[in-house]
Amino acid sequence: MGNGIIKANNVSLIYRDGTKALNNVNLEINPGDLVFITVSSGSGKTSFLKLLMGMESPTSGSLTVMGVDMKKGRHGKIQKLRRKIGPIFQEFKLIEGRTALENVCMGMRFFGIRPKKIKAQAIETLTRVGLESKIHSKVENLSWGQAQRVAIARAVVRKPRLLLADEPTGNLDHDNAVSMLELLASFCDSNTAVIITTHATHLIDNWNNAIYVNVDKGEFSIRKGCNVPGSAGLSKIG
Amino acid sequence: MKTFIYNQGYFMREVFKTIRLAPLSNLFSFIGTSLILLLFGLILGSWKIGDNLISSLQDEAQISAYFEDGMSQEQMLALADEISKMDGVTAARFIDTETAYEENKKLLGEEADILELFEENPFESYIDIRISLDDMDTVIDKVSNLKGIEYVRDNRDVLAQLKGIVGALKLLGSVVALAVGVTTIIIISHMIRQGIYNNREQINTLRLLGAPSWFIGLPFVIAGVLLTLLGGIAAAGLIILMLDGGYRQLREYIIFLPLPAAGELKELISYVIIALSAGLGLFGSLFGLSSIRKE
Repeated sequence: MGNGIIKANNVSLIYRDGTKALNNVNLEINPGDLVFITVSSGSGKTSFLKLLMGMESPTSGSLTVMGVDMKKGRHGKIQKLRRKIGPIFQEFKLIEGRTALENVCMGMRFFGIRPKKIKAQAIETLTRVGLESKIHSKVENLSWGQAQRVAIARAVVRKPRLLLADEPTGNLDHDNAVSMLELLASFCDSNTAVIITTHATHLIDNWNNAIYVNVDKGEFSIRKGCNVPGSAGLSKIG
Repeated sequence: MKTFIYNQGYFMREVFKTIRLAPLSNLFSFIGTSLILLLFGLILGSWKIGDNLISSLQDEAQISAYFEDGMSQEQMLALADEISKMDGVTAARFIDTETAYEENKKLLGEEADILELFEENPFESYIDIRISLDDMDTVIDKVSNLKGIEYVRDNRDVLAQLKGIVGALKLLGSVVALAVGVTTIIIISHMIRQGIYNNREQINTLRLLGAPSWFIGLPFVIAGVLLTLLGGIAAAGLIILMLDGGYRQLREYIIFLPLPAAGELKELISYVIIALSAGLGLFGSLFGLSSIRKE
């Protein structure tokens, strides 16, 4: 076992109404891992992301995220943990009435960093995701794809150790979806693991070194992606 | 601390945004807070004026002890001396018939001519006794039972009524203070909850991004304190205007009424109301904020 960012041992989650969401999940995710979670049926992937964010607590088993026990983690510890996670929500959760820049800055305001530096980093990140011309646009005036890129910028500007993207390819055409996945994969480095959930299994085949997790009725099956000799890092093959 | 210092501008922008999100509701909160603080200020002012009146009357509280027939002046003086040494007596002065005549002549003023109708001086010698109002009953009993004293004239009924009025004002003041406190806390905590409800999505997002609770809640606390404080300042301003008008009227029609110094009274009421509004605003905001601590 390495320095896992996520360590799940026999994790099960049963909701109060008796719905079984996850069943005996065993998983270890390390810095630099690119993980695709796909779903055959049920809602296990959303439940898993909720567990990682501390929005739910495992019913049984043990789950640690960056050393925090998610079963016993107190509110303060969970809040601190969330600062090391870059979440990209399915519905983005951008704050309306604010510009793209303000939304990106919002994710860093409580990091004790000077506002000038926050602004500079936010502009740099918005430029990296291709939104340099929309920095001062209100988020409600942006297209779906642009709003999604604001959400990505808000998540990555914090230099998170874990980037979580929930269904980032939904509502995007094939080319944009591929380019979105490539953008997200580009944030995966020796310090950061990236987890992407998606229904679009045809888009995630043949990623060098990626980890594929299929969720079927709350059960996880894991397979490693192919490792092409001579190919460096994470990239889509072919 | 660094986060607080770096985000002062952000917090103030959030405060005004929170207030602007529900302008009518916040305006009503402001008016409601101002009115109840105004009511409290008026009760405080009345209580202070009443208390001052009682204190003045207490200082001036006086009874007169009249002698039995056939007493010599030496015996009367000895009695006055004995009374002056009693507990609760601040001064005792023997008034002979001549002095009594002159004092009454002064009191009657333009009507003093009426005294010329009497062939003889109609006034008796007596002892003018200044007493502490709290010991009034004991002193009157003791003096009445002294050998040589025929009867004691007092204004105990008037004094007792005044004491009762001030007591009632104090009680009313306490009840109003309690009501003001509870009402302000309810208004402000409701306002904060409303603000939290209006910003629930932003709050939820901030939580998921890992913002600490104090960072999320501080703009709401500042908004609550600011609105209550403004309500307090408005109430204090109105009371100052009302006191100015009231004092002018009272001085015009009831010249001898012993009022506390207007400047001191205005200062006292303003400080109390503004400090109270800030305190209640803070408490109400924190009370309202407790709801967002729940995950």
